[in-house]
Amino acid sequence: MKHRVLFLSICLLVVLAVYGDLFAAAQKEGGEIVLTFPTFWVGQDSKAGPIADLVQQFNADNAGKIRVVIEANPDTDGYRTKLNTSLAAGVVPDIFVFNPDPTTFQYYDADILMDITEELKGAWAQDFAPGYIEASTKKGRAKTVPFETGLTPIWYNQELFGRAGLGDFPKNFDDFWAAAEKLKAAGIVPTSQMTGGANAWTSMLWYSHILASISGPEVWKNPLTHPQYVQAAEILLRMYQDGNTTKDAVGGDAGVAGGHYMAGRTAIFINGPWYIGRIKKDAPAVHAVTKLAHAPAVKAGAYGGEIGFQLSNLAAANTKDPARKAAVLKFLRWMTKPENVKMISERSGAMFALKYQLGAQVDPLLKQFIEISSSAKFSVGHFESQYPVAVTQELGQALGAMALGKATAKEFVQMLIQASK
Amino acid sequence: MKKVGVSAVTIIAKAGKWCLLSFFFFFTFLPLLWLFFSSFKTNFEFLTEPFSLPAVWRFGNYLNAIRISGMPRLFVNSVIVSTCSTILNILAASMAAFVFSREVFKLQNAILNLIVAGVLVPIIAFMVPYFRLISSLGLYNSLPGLIVTYAAINVPISVFLLYSFMQSIPRELEEAAVMDGCSFWMRYSRIIFPLSRLGLVTAATFVFLYSWNEFIYALLLTTSVSARTLQLGIRFFVSQFFTDYTSMYAALVITIIPSMVVYVLFHERIIQGLTSGALKG
Amino acid sequence: MRNKHWKAILLFLTPTVVLYALFFVFPLGYVFFVSFIRWSGAIPTGFAGFQNYLDIFHNPTFAVSIRNNIIWALSLGIGQIALSALVAMILARGPWGWRFLRTVYFLPNVISQVAISMMWIAIYNAEYGALNRILEQIGLGHLARNWLGLVETALPAIIIQQLLYVGYFMIIILASTMSIPTSYYEAAQIDGASVLQQERYITLPLIRGILVTSSILAMAYGLRHFEATFLMTAGGPANSTSVMGIMLFNNLHFLQYGRANAIGAVLIVLGALIIVTMRRTIGRQSEEIVAKG
Repeated sequence: MKHRVLFLSICLLVVLAVYGDLFAAAQKEGGEIVLTFPTFWVGQDSKAGPIADLVQQFNADNAGKIRVVIEANPDTDGYRTKLNTSLAAGVVPDIFVFNPDPTTFQYYDADILMDITEELKGAWAQDFAPGYIEASTKKGRAKTVPFETGLTPIWYNQELFGRAGLGDFPKNFDDFWAAAEKLKAAGIVPTSQMTGGANAWTSMLWYSHILASISGPEVWKNPLTHPQYVQAAEILLRMYQDGNTTKDAVGGDAGVAGGHYMAGRTAIFINGPWYIGRIKKDAPAVHAVTKLAHAPAVKAGAYGGEIGFQLSNLAAANTKDPARKAAVLKFLRWMTKPENVKMISERSGAMFALKYQLGAQVDPLLKQFIEISSSAKFSVGHFESQYPVAVTQELGQALGAMALGKATAKEFVQMLIQASK
Repeated sequence: MKKVGVSAVTIIAKAGKWCLLSFFFFFTFLPLLWLFFSSFKTNFEFLTEPFSLPAVWRFGNYLNAIRISGMPRLFVNSVIVSTCSTILNILAASMAAFVFSREVFKLQNAILNLIVAGVLVPIIAFMVPYFRLISSLGLYNSLPGLIVTYAAINVPISVFLLYSFMQSIPRELEEAAVMDGCSFWMRYSRIIFPLSRLGLVTAATFVFLYSWNEFIYALLLTTSVSARTLQLGIRFFVSQFFTDYTSMYAALVITIIPSMVVYVLFHERIIQGLTSGALKG
Repeated sequence: MRNKHWKAILLFLTPTVVLYALFFVFPLGYVFFVSFIRWSGAIPTGFAGFQNYLDIFHNPTFAVSIRNNIIWALSLGIGQIALSALVAMILARGPWGWRFLRTVYFLPNVISQVAISMMWIAIYNAEYGALNRILEQIGLGHLARNWLGLVETALPAIIIQQLLYVGYFMIIILASTMSIPTSYYEAAQIDGASVLQQERYITLPLIRGILVTSSILAMAYGLRHFEATFLMTAGGPANSTSVMGIMLFNNLHFLQYGRANAIGAVLIVLGALIIVTMRRTIGRQSEEIVAKG
């Protein structure tokens, strides 16, 4: 008898769990079209607030007809894993954030993304800054909408520079190494570097800057076998030696690199405008004295280039339902409306691929971003945007090997070539 | 037998024993203490002075933690998922282990070996098939989806453990019971199931812990707070360019305390019941 | 030979078999099937034969990964179990505070692996990590280094840190130890056996079954190892701590599904061979011993 009771109560528990309010799925209620929008612009991300407000506004304006539901995926690696798995299993979210690089552009070849080539001509195209729609077009088809962009100039702490007896940021590498020695003499670590975090972000950006300094605007036309890669690697290697960076750079991630800069331990850093909110909040003293600069020139190389790239695009699932397609397009146009994007930019410091003017009340660091963007002689994408994910990921590993003396610059590039196969 | 010699050895052994125990104690406990202190710092302080006491005890981190990640709901979800998956798994596995260890039938060894071999399958290889499976069963973004998945993933381990335990129960007990008219079901429920208590608790602990700590499939198979578990809540503090360590640790402390309480209340009781009166020396 | 209880047997097997079929057999089929297909991004583009397997074997990281997995399996299967058994046997004798210690030792398992790994990343950090600080305090400052960033120390650092969490297996070994009747020990004591002798001749043989089972499980965990390494070094530095689980995961990110599944297939086959062999040779023996006792 006791066992029967136990057995039944277990069954009851299971049944309750199954039929309780534990089923959550996107539903169609009445004629309302519900669009799922997984994104990592949630939680602590500086754009979380503005994006949520925009979505809320859209839902209010379209009440009863269209409803966009944000699916929170704060962890970007988790987001990417989930998105890839989902797409491989044939389940495509209605709208999602698409990070463009040669690996993800392969999705264009399948039929899973909504083809917006035609819609992105005409009036809508006028809202976008030049070049971005072309950059999102592969084999004549545009299947994602340019959205957030990245610009990653060199950051340096002017106060620490002053302490070491330095003025402006060096314009060539001879001056750069001299400056590094002066910084070290004043007890300051020159640069923040990192080989971890899946894309060795800070170091990868340095590598991109150095390459651009060597070969100018056509830098990415050269394949990995071109000597520029070895030459740049040698310069990057030097940044890891002789105390030119912190001891935890090998294996360190973005928290490590950024943390050292914010703590005033390192004088030179690289990151994009999205970091403004973070540094303003956590290290206002450093925020106040941060200046931006172009990368130093290599001998007989190019100066004044900047690293700018498409950070996140918006993509939509391919659908045959015309009502659904119209709803998605309406939302995409809403998100890319210049005044909406301007609002996000003002509140978060992010930059976008659209034409908008920021008001006067702009964060001084963001202002510098705009200035350096216009003063740049040319702009190229970063390494990550030019090579498949496998190569970018190998960059960190190979860099670690090189920094530890286990690989020469030539072998470093060999590892990258190996990963591209 | 020289008394002096024995004493010296005993002292060294005793010292060694206490060294070992203390070492493991500090190894286990100090990091937790560090976690606790870190949860009261600012991120900046955490990154620059990770091993100092907090300058200011910021309880705001805790409010932040609860607010941002919806911890209470996630905790409840974790409890439901872990409990139900454990029950489902133990029921299924114990029934299977029972027939594997007690009966003889066609293909018995083949099926058993096949199931046990599942112990070393890298579950991470199954992301796409599981996603497809759960979607087509209509269990995407639901607690039952996770429950069934976790119960299934642990079937090989539980069967393996329970089979080993049941094998060691002498057959004579059942033979006597059968002669007294014990049915098949009763043999399971009245004799073998109670006698395998130790194995059942062991397996249940493994399954429960697995479900509690699991992350990848919780991430893949759920999208909203109504179905998400605690581990995902902790990842809420990691965003594209920044990790809010201190709020994350506050969240962790919040989850550790109830976990500890639950563990102390239930597990200790169970183990105590199983092994009372067996202390020696 | 038709067992007269065949209906009941079928009923009892059904839940397990159904769950297993859905979540193991079919996905396994998928893994093996896809490993023979060539993928381009998101779409399968044709039969690849053994090309995926050749690709991964040619990758130098693969050999490193297999080697690391075997190191993990042995470290956990032998090292961790030995330590867990040692601690269990000490605690079984009921020293002062043993219940408290038992709780504390098990505590890390109630906290997620993510949290523990993050803790240890901070402890191992080269600039501000606790380990280096402690070394400096006790005068061993010259040993301070970037533990997770050096090829020589990264793998041992992760393994030792995982190995020393004895709570998981200690609990079940302890429970098993404590179920041995005290009368055995009393009798041995009367005969003049020392503590060491008692443990060696009474405890060890009687818990042999659970030791073997735990050892096999620990080895399986070692072969499947993924999370701690992924979180702490992502397979680095220079791919030196890579394990097959990480290679698999990475290939999924590279959208190389064919290769990812080929790695999965290799891992499964390799692991199956090792463990079924172990079960055959050692497992059976221990079951006999336990059954006799």
